[in-house]
Amino acid sequence: MTEVKLKSIGKSYGAVAAVQQVDLTIKDGEFLVLLGPSGCGKSTTLRMIAGLESITAGDLLIGGKRMNDVDPKNRGVAMVFQNYALYPHKSVFDNMAMALKLQKVAASEIEKRVGTTAEMLGLTEYLGRKPAALSGGQRQRVAIGRAIVRTPDVFLFDEPLSNLDAKLRVKMRMELQELHDRLGVTSVYVTHDQVEAMTLADRIVIMNKGLVTQVGTPREVYDHPVDEFVAGFIGSPAMNFIDLVRNDNGIWKTACCSLALPSLPLDTSRLLSLRLGIRPEHIVVNPDDEKGAFTYQATVKLDELLGADALLNLKVGDVSLLARVGGMDYPVKGDVLKIALPEARMHFFNPETGLAYDRTH
Amino acid sequence: MQLRPRFGLYALVTVSVLVSFLPIIWLILTSLKTTAGIYAWPPQYIPDPFTLDNYINIIQNSPELLIYVWNSFVVGFGTTVFTLVFGSMAGYALSRLGMRRAGILMIFILAVSMFPPVSLIPSLFQNFLQFGLLNTYIGLIIAHTGLFLPFAVWMLASYFATLPVEIEEAARMDGMGTFRIFRSIVIPLSWPGFVATGLIVFIFSWNEFPLALVLMTENAMRTAPVGISLYPGEYAFPWETISTATVIAIIPILMITAIFQKQIVGGLTAGASK
Ligand SMILES: Nc1ncnc2c1ncn2[C@@H]1O[C@H](COP(=O)(O)OP(=O)(O)OP(=O)(O)O)[C@@H](O)[C@H]1O
Ligand SMILES: [Mg+2]
Repeated sequence: MTEVKLKSIGKSYGAVAAVQQVDLTIKDGEFLVLLGPSGCGKSTTLRMIAGLESITAGDLLIGGKRMNDVDPKNRGVAMVFQNYALYPHKSVFDNMAMALKLQKVAASEIEKRVGTTAEMLGLTEYLGRKPAALSGGQRQRVAIGRAIVRTPDVFLFDEPLSNLDAKLRVKMRMELQELHDRLGVTSVYVTHDQVEAMTLADRIVIMNKGLVTQVGTPREVYDHPVDEFVAGFIGSPAMNFIDLVRNDNGIWKTACCSLALPSLPLDTSRLLSLRLGIRPEHIVVNPDDEKGAFTYQATVKLDELLGADALLNLKVGDVSLLARVGGMDYPVKGDVLKIALPEARMHFFNPETGLAYDRTH
Repeated sequence: MQLRPRFGLYALVTVSVLVSFLPIIWLILTSLKTTAGIYAWPPQYIPDPFTLDNYINIIQNSPELLIYVWNSFVVGFGTTVFTLVFGSMAGYALSRLGMRRAGILMIFILAVSMFPPVSLIPSLFQNFLQFGLLNTYIGLIIAHTGLFLPFAVWMLASYFATLPVEIEEAARMDGMGTFRIFRSIVIPLSWPGFVATGLIVFIFSWNEFPLALVLMTENAMRTAPVGISLYPGEYAFPWETISTATVIAIIPILMITAIFQKQIVGGLTAGASK
């Protein structure tokens, strides 16, 4: 059982707080993804777990033991770096065997374990080569293999796929998924690619400015973002936000009235303004059924075909909305059409704090 | 269209090579002239008559030149080894171990090397005399190591700074200690930096004059530049002997440089790309 527990962990460089007060429990065998914009402290958090960065506040527990001051090699963790960080002067075999050699594992045992791992990763024929003679994908596989042969309790990945081209990234992503299914080792994976996060994660941790904003399954963070930041960060293209104010008749409108919502699915009696969020994929164009939705007339300002989907830049009065529709027979620039905003798909935020309003009350 | 810039580049390289080589070419030509040829006016550009007498002469009459060259070699080699050992450890500590105030220390190290060597002579001489280090290889090696260590620290520290730190971190995760990382990761990866630094230090030591002059007072312990410059002339400075001896003395350096030239270029331009 290897559970990793971060208890109010923090890291500051002098006056700069890179990570402040992160509380997190990574369950045994869980694949946890740290997701967030650049500079939010993902790598720092990961490196504190690895032992490459000292912990300036809080406690780190791995498998129930406090690890704050334990040497990286004794934490039972293995790390895969973004730029592979292979030993350039050593062969693939030696790269993968290094940790075992240092642990004084018998040569025959090393041979066996490296052999099995290499086979699993399709690296057998490259064992004699130096990293320079490998492609990017092969190098990353070696880096992963180097982590696997150690049979660690915890895998740490810091953007392992971001140096690969798009196609290879998808392939490696699937391989990583398979690998995790097979090995079931507790893993912490840092990325700023939300597709990677959504597809790989059991749970996603969304970080912003050194703090954890939300922890949840991919479904939860997509369906129920706790604040505007998460709402805007998860999902691509990003969620539409519309500022609304309440007029004297109790009707919610945009500031100059082009878009009005007679009633909202939440208790708004004490509110004067709020921010509505709706994802591009949830806007219905030319609806068949208008039940449970608000309908408006919109003009298509721009249409972009992405392949399977198309993006429409819509104008409702002076409000701009991005909608995502199927890539077949979609409306084009200049078309005037009807759109529906389904009530069930709406998100509401406090415009000052950015926090989501709970719809049940 | 491709030719023009290429041509300009080659012209530029030719000019700069000529400028830096002219003194050496002049030196070699001088060593092939007769005494009369050396003092001829207008100056001779092509030795006339062309003669190898100077070389024969020096080998027959001044066998001590070989001793000077040998001394220079021993001192240069010892200095190189010492500076590389201490310089690399200091450079690694300063560039990678997250020492506090490393930057200030680096500046301080550089400041130390700004003293002209002559200013060190009184204290060095007295202390060396006290400890019996005058006229010993180890004495001059220590003096030269002190003199050139700052350069080596700077050079190696900047080389280490170009290595991707993740490799060392991966090694730490794999279970290596700091010294092990230094030995089996950093040193092998910094090979070009070591060669370049070592070679330059070797040449510095080979050419160093004031300390070698003062700390090696016995003829048998003199280094090449000192020994050669002290060749006695009867009436005038024996230019033909000096230039010939100098040509002989720079041969080892040229040879070493030729052997390591690939690494030197790599070391000097480290971090220039990527
Ligand atoms: N040595 C340091 N000294 C001062 N501040 C630092 C140091 N290292 C990192 N930081 C700061 O800590 C913050 C978090 O850095 P971190 O590398 O964890 O970001 P990240 O989320 O991994 O970003 P990215 O996606 O760009 O890799 C950043 O604002 C960074 O500027
Ligand atoms: Mg990072």
